[in-house]
Amino acid sequence: MLDFFQAVSDGVLFGATYALIGIGFTLVFGVMHKINMAYAAASVGGAYAGLLVLQVMAGAPPWVVFSCAFLAGGLLGWMVYVTCFHFIPLSSPLAPLMSTVGMLLLIDEVIVHLTAGMPQAYPALFDDVMLSMGEFTLRGDLMLVFGVSVLAMIALLLLLYRTRLGLATRAVAQQPVAAQLCGIRLARVNVLTFVVTGLLGGLAGALVGASVGTLSPLLTVPLTIKGLIVTVIGGLGSIPGAIVAGLLVGGFENVLQLYRGVTERDLYVMLLLFAFLIFRPAGLFAPRGGH
Amino acid sequence: MLSRHFGGVRAVDGLDLEVREGQIFGLIGPNGSGKSTTVNVITGLLPPTAGAIVFRGRDIGALPTHLRLREGIARTFQNIRLFGQLSVWQNLWVAQNSAEDRARQGFLPRWLGGQGRVREDIGRLLEFSGLAHKQDELAANLAFGEQRRLELARALAARPKLLLLDEPAAGMNSEEIGQLRERILKLRSGGVTILLVEHVMELVMGVTDRIAVLNFGQKIAEGTPAAIRADPAVRKAYLGGEAA
Amino acid sequence: MDFYFGLAQLIGVHTLLGLSAYIVLLTGQVSLAQAGFFAVGAYVAGMLTVLAGWHIVPALGVSAMSGAAVACAVGFPALRVKGLMLVIATLAFGEGVRLFFFNFDYQIAKGEIQVGPLGGEGFRQIRFFPENGWETWEVMYFIWAIVIAAMALLWWFDRSRYGTVLRAVGEDELAAQSVGINLTAVKVSAMTVGGAIAGVGGGLYAHYTTHIEHLSFNILLATFAIAYPIVGGLRSVFGTLLAVIFVQGFLVEGLRFLGDWRNLLFGALIVLAMNLRPEGILGGRRRA
Repeated sequence: MLDFFQAVSDGVLFGATYALIGIGFTLVFGVMHKINMAYAAASVGGAYAGLLVLQVMAGAPPWVVFSCAFLAGGLLGWMVYVTCFHFIPLSSPLAPLMSTVGMLLLIDEVIVHLTAGMPQAYPALFDDVMLSMGEFTLRGDLMLVFGVSVLAMIALLLLLYRTRLGLATRAVAQQPVAAQLCGIRLARVNVLTFVVTGLLGGLAGALVGASVGTLSPLLTVPLTIKGLIVTVIGGLGSIPGAIVAGLLVGGFENVLQLYRGVTERDLYVMLLLFAFLIFRPAGLFAPRGGH
Repeated sequence: MLSRHFGGVRAVDGLDLEVREGQIFGLIGPNGSGKSTTVNVITGLLPPTAGAIVFRGRDIGALPTHLRLREGIARTFQNIRLFGQLSVWQNLWVAQNSAEDRARQGFLPRWLGGQGRVREDIGRLLEFSGLAHKQDELAANLAFGEQRRLELARALAARPKLLLLDEPAAGMNSEEIGQLRERILKLRSGGVTILLVEHVMELVMGVTDRIAVLNFGQKIAEGTPAAIRADPAVRKAYLGGEAA
Repeated sequence: MDFYFGLAQLIGVHTLLGLSAYIVLLTGQVSLAQAGFFAVGAYVAGMLTVLAGWHIVPALGVSAMSGAAVACAVGFPALRVKGLMLVIATLAFGEGVRLFFFNFDYQIAKGEIQVGPLGGEGFRQIRFFPENGWETWEVMYFIWAIVIAAMALLWWFDRSRYGTVLRAVGEDELAAQSVGINLTAVKVSAMTVGGAIAGVGGGLYAHYTTHIEHLSFNILLATFAIAYPIVGGLRSVFGTLLAVIFVQGFLVEGLRFLGDWRNLLFGALIVLAMNLRPEGILGGRRRA
């Protein structure tokens, strides 16, 4: 029984990263009504870019690596925007989607080639810290991951609800045409949405690397799927939904891993998705507005 | 007593309508009065919040849209919804889903056979709408008036007993309205009952047997065209707008 | 010469994959699940010929049926899910199938060795063709006979009322319902036919490569499947065939010197193609 709670707790803490990835997908969908399939790949790419710091400064502290991943994520987000959404007419139904799939494959392959397919060790913070309450432990590194994720979410929400940019973004999400008529520059909002979600994604990628201890290109696909599952379960376009769903999926997955092992675990997460699609296709929370 | 609510908005509120077989029944009202919503509920695209829809003695409320078509209810759309990438001929072909057409051919020949067997029926529809010369043209390439006629022909392909026309005269000039009127009367003499939702009074007054007036989802008047023309409540609803 | 036969085999099998996505795409459903049905067909056919000693032809028949059955099961919940959500759901399904086979062990002893699928290691020794004396060119003809049959079937559908109704549904579901078309029957039947074709394709794939594993049926393959009809255009089945020839021929032959970087180029190729011609190479769904 204790194992169960331990699994839930660890899973939920880790699930904060899924929540961040889910937020990235859901925010882009809310603003542009498109899915950026390359998002998780860009996040992992950002995390890898963070490692470049270690090439330059051999003994650099982890937080430097994380910050670099954060910024690299933003850059990659911008690149995905330019290659997939800037030139392609947004009214075209399939082209932007296929293009992001192309970017997903591209980023994946670049990572594989640059690292010769070998997993890379990722720096972690507080991995030797353990808070124990009897037999129940809270891993320090997971708590950091959770804490940083929460801070990032708070920062995002502040951005969305307390700044003009955030206001413009929410306006565009609800009524793109009317927003434009009020003088909001659509392209600017779109680019910034990609950059901000990119920053978030780079951070999430770094956090995933930090908690797992290694980074591997094999992460991109499962992370994409899980991010999408979180987005769907939470409700497309809903940030609170993505947060709750991320934690839920994290906990669920870890519990399944405890009882059924790592290889079967992902299958059950898939089943969770199908259950939602059949019984609650709109997700946990209704979308924030507009369509 | 049909009702359809969207959250707090009562798009259709306690509407009682009875259309007799062989009638041409008009449904008019200012914009937003619930006319199109009523059509959508009758055809099954929207479920009613309350009330029943009885067609030829049968409660069809539980039937999905495509089955209501087989019962004999067809409709046209206010903003034309043709299959633009299909030809005129194909638009009519895919619409032949009436009980009669389904009974005529076996399952496999009907679905996998070619165009030969239905040439006659579709040919007749093309003649009626004056589109025979354009039968292989893509629907999206037709002129606006031709698209309108195709929209009507497609509804007729289903051999309906009740035809719901949703603002068929919008944007037409007097001559076109006259032609539409003739076509509607011809349909009625062919045995089709018609529910005409319309804004253009010239058509409504000239072709209907009976009219119901909606305002804010409720029926505020019902009667013959002459009675409706004279009704002060109707005048008030339209703010003296339309030429009666 | 053998190399070109091999290439022709690959193109043939990928054409089947593309055709399976084509018929589903006609109804407006963007499905990334076709690789999953393909995988099911591959493992089923392989197990029947290797573990049960069946001849390839009935094995392929069962592949087709199992692909169809799984696709039918997917088709119903797929109805509840619109647009982009369907893409996600089918993508997740495809991954689910791959994970299933990653965990799937079923081996029996044949003489001195164990044969059958073995989880992550995959399914080796699917040697029906070599064991029965089939030459490479004979296998190629066999594959293409099936491809031509599938193309003929879909071409016939396109000319019949069924194909026209599929396109009507893909164009405007609301209007289709209103003229009496049963959306459920149309969309699920298209998915089922697609599943059958993918199943046969998978069965053929397993036998000409003789070794399959879960990684063969990944997102890349699912993307190939849907990319073919999108790139080829939905005007006719020939578009899909041309797209397969173009993509595989170009990638395999023209870029052979780039070696490992081929997959990377595929990604870049898609991005480029979508930027330059968003409606697809042969154009939109226009057909007279």
